[in-house]
Amino acid sequence: MSTGFDAFGSAYFDGDRPVSQEISLHIANGNLQIGLDDGNTLFWPVKDIRVLPDSAGRQGRMLRMINEPLARLFVTDHSLIAHLPNATRAAPPKGRGRLAAWAMAAVAAVALQIAVLVPLLADRLAVFIPPAGERALGEATFDQIRKALDETGLAPLPVCENPAGLDALAQMAAALNGVDGAAGLSVQVLDHEMVNAFALPGGFVVIFRGLIDQAETPDEVAAVLAHEIGHVVSRDPTRHALRSAGSIGVLGLLLGDFAGGAAVLVLAERLISANYSQQAETDADAFGHARLEAANVSPAALGSMFERLRAEYGDGNALMAHFLSHPSLSDRIENARAATDENGDYAPILDDAGWADLQAVCD
Amino acid sequence: MTDAALTFPTAEPEGLQVAFVGKRGALFWLAFKTGFWTILTLGFYRFWMKTRMRRWYWSAIRPGGHPMEYVGDPLEKLLGFFIAVVILTFYLGIVNLLLMFVSFSVFSSASLGYLASFAGVIPLWFYARYRARRYVLARTRWRGVRFGLEKGAWGYAWRACLHWMVTIASLGVLWPRMTFWLEKYVTDRTYFGSARLHQGGGWTMLYRAAVPFAVSLLVLGTGALWLFWIDPVVVSADITLEGVTRSFDEMMDGGAPAMPVVGIERLLIFPLGFLGLIYGAIHYRFVSRRILADHKSSEGISLASRLSGPRVVSIYVLGNFIAYLVLVLGVVALVLGAIGTFGAGVLLGVDVGPLSLGWDLPQGLGIAMFAMFYLTIFLMWNVLYNTFVTYPLMRHMANTLSLPTRYGLRYVSQRARDEFAEAEGFAEALDLGAAI
Repeated sequence: MSTGFDAFGSAYFDGDRPVSQEISLHIANGNLQIGLDDGNTLFWPVKDIRVLPDSAGRQGRMLRMINEPLARLFVTDHSLIAHLPNATRAAPPKGRGRLAAWAMAAVAAVALQIAVLVPLLADRLAVFIPPAGERALGEATFDQIRKALDETGLAPLPVCENPAGLDALAQMAAALNGVDGAAGLSVQVLDHEMVNAFALPGGFVVIFRGLIDQAETPDEVAAVLAHEIGHVVSRDPTRHALRSAGSIGVLGLLLGDFAGGAAVLVLAERLISANYSQQAETDADAFGHARLEAANVSPAALGSMFERLRAEYGDGNALMAHFLSHPSLSDRIENARAATDENGDYAPILDDAGWADLQAVCD
Repeated sequence: MTDAALTFPTAEPEGLQVAFVGKRGALFWLAFKTGFWTILTLGFYRFWMKTRMRRWYWSAIRPGGHPMEYVGDPLEKLLGFFIAVVILTFYLGIVNLLLMFVSFSVFSSASLGYLASFAGVIPLWFYARYRARRYVLARTRWRGVRFGLEKGAWGYAWRACLHWMVTIASLGVLWPRMTFWLEKYVTDRTYFGSARLHQGGGWTMLYRAAVPFAVSLLVLGTGALWLFWIDPVVVSADITLEGVTRSFDEMMDGGAPAMPVVGIERLLIFPLGFLGLIYGAIHYRFVSRRILADHKSSEGISLASRLSGPRVVSIYVLGNFIAYLVLVLGVVALVLGAIGTFGAGVLLGVDVGPLSLGWDLPQGLGIAMFAMFYLTIFLMWNVLYNTFVTYPLMRHMANTLSLPTRYGLRYVSQRARDEFAEAEGFAEALDLGAAI
C-alpha cells in the first residue's frame, strides 16, 4: 500500500547544486518515493532516513539518508516523520581510535611537561637567576599570595607589624641563620589562621599567625623556621616558582573556558603547600636540625609539635594540610628525635618575654 | 515557485528573503539542558553543547525558506582540542618558563615576562580565529552545498598584527581600514560551493558607521575643553585634589561646596558622552558589518542587509541588562538553596576567598565544590547570554538579510570536503570565546 504526503513547500536538494526541486512524496514498500520534476523517482528506504537533530522552529524538517551524505530532503508535512522508524537514531561515531590516540597524546604531553620538562628546565635555570631577580620574583609571588588569601576582597592579607614581636622574630632568625647563612633572609608573619609556613625566592620566609598560636614553645616555631631556612639556602622556592610559571599556562589551557581565576587559585595553593621533592624536604630537615643544634635548641621541637597537632586534630584535618600532607611525617618525627642529643643541655631560643612578644606579633 | 522553473537567466527572479524561525523558549531549554550536562561532565560536554547550539541556530536561519545546516561533529572538536593541547602545552609551558626566567634575571620584574608572554600569544590568537572561521564555514551547508574558506591563517595573522599596529599608531583613526582589509581578506577566500565571494567597496565607506562614535568623542572633547578651560566649573585659582574631594563630600552632605563652582549641572555632559561612546562602539561593530555585507557578492549573487544600528544597540544593552539581572537572581537563589540544603556552614567555605575555602572540609571536596559553583555561574551566564543577546541579535541579522540577486545560484556546484583535523581546537584552547 502507498501513503501520500503533502509535498507543498517541500524540496529536494541533490547535494550538488543549491537549487530546489519540486517533488512528490509517497511511502510504499518500505521506501520513501521522491518523485522529481524530470520524471525520475528516488527511493529512500524509510529505515535509513534520519531527521537532522536540534532543528529550530516547527516549519519544516530536513531529512537525510545515511548512504547519501550530501543529498537533503526538506519536508513540510510532519506526518511523514512518524513513518520513519529510525528518524532520531544517531550516526555511529567514526574515528574513535584516532580520538583515543590524541587524547592519550594530550594527557602524555601535559604529564611530560609538568612532571619532567618544566621541573628539569626550572632546576637548571634556577641557579642562574641573580639575587636581585630572585628577590623580585619573591616579592611578586608574596604579593600574589597575599591577594589570593584575602577574604575581605578589599586589601591584601595584612602582614603583622608589632615591633616587639618582630624583634623577637628577628632574634630567632638571626640565631638560626648564623653568620654564614642565607643572605638577605627576611621573615614575615601573615595574619591568617592557617597552621603553615612557607619559603619564597629571594630569602623570604613567611609564617602564618596560626602556626605561632598553635605552638606551645618558641622552639617549635624555631624548628619550623629552621626547616624553611633550609629551603631558602638550597633555593628550592626559586625552582618551584619557575616551575609554577611553566605549569600555570598549561593548567589554564586544560581548564579551558573556565580557567581565569581557577588557574591563579591553583598556583597560589601550589606555592603555599609547596610539595618539594622528598629529597629537598629531607635535606631541609637535616639542615634545620643542624641549625637548631648550633643555636642550642632541641631539634625534637619539630616532632613534638607535629605529634601534638596530630593527637589534637587527627590525621585527616585540613587545618594542618601542609605538614600532614607529607607522607613521611612519622619518619620526620623519628628523625627529629634521632637528631636530638639525649644528654644535651638545650635552652629555649627565646626567653619568656621574647616568646610573649612573638605571640603578640599580630596584635 | 522553484529555481528549476527559471529557465531564462535574463528574467531576473525576485530576491531571496532570509527568515529566522526558532523560538526563544526552545533555545533556552536547549542551552539549559546542554549547559547542565556540561557542568556534570566538568566541561567536557561543552563540545556537544556548542555543536547542538550551532545546529539549532543554523537551522533557524532560512534563506528562501530552506534552513542552513551545521554538520560539525562534537568528537572532531574534542579531537581538535586534544591536538591543540598537545601543541600548545609545549609552547605555553616552556616558552613561559623561559620568558619568566629572562624577565627576572635581566629585568628583575615579572611584568615584562607577562607582557612578552601575552604578546607571543597575539599572532596565535589571530591564527586561531581564522582557523575557527574556516572550520565553521567548512561545516556549514545550505541547500546541501558546502561553504568553505581557503587556507591562509598565517597570512591573516601577520596582516592582522600589522593592521593593529597601524591602527594603534594612528590613534584609532585608521580602524575602519583594518576592519575592511581583514574582512576582505576573509571574504575573498570564502566560497559557497564553487562560487567565490568577493568583497567590494573601499575602506573609507566604513567611516559612515563610525559617525556616532566620533560625535560622542567630539562631545566629550569639547565638553572637557569648555568645562575645564573656557568656562571652568570650579572658579578658583588653585585646584587641588584635596579641595575637590572636600567639595564633593560637602555637596554629598547637602552643603555648599568649599570651592566656588558655576553651573555644576554641566558636568552631566561626561556620563552622557560615555554612554554615547558605548552606543557608538556597538553601532560601529554592527553597522560596519551591514555595509560590508551590502558590498559582498559572487557571480550572479548579491547580499543586502537592512540591519538597524539603534535596534541592535537596544538589543545588546537590554539583553545584557536582563541577562545580568537574571544571573544575579539565580545566584542568590542558588546560594539560598544551598544554605537551605546544607546549612550556612558549608556555604561559608564557598563565600569567603577562594583559597580559604574548604580548610575545614577535605581539601579535594572543597575545591570540587568551588569548581562546581564557578562552572554553574559561568554556564548560567552562557545560557542567559544566548537567550537574551545572541538569539535576538541573530534573529534581527537574519530577518534583515536578503539576496536581491541570486540567478548565479544555478551555476553553483558542490565543493570538496575540507578535512580539518584540529577543528577549532586552537580557538577553544586559547579561549577565544566566539561561541557562535
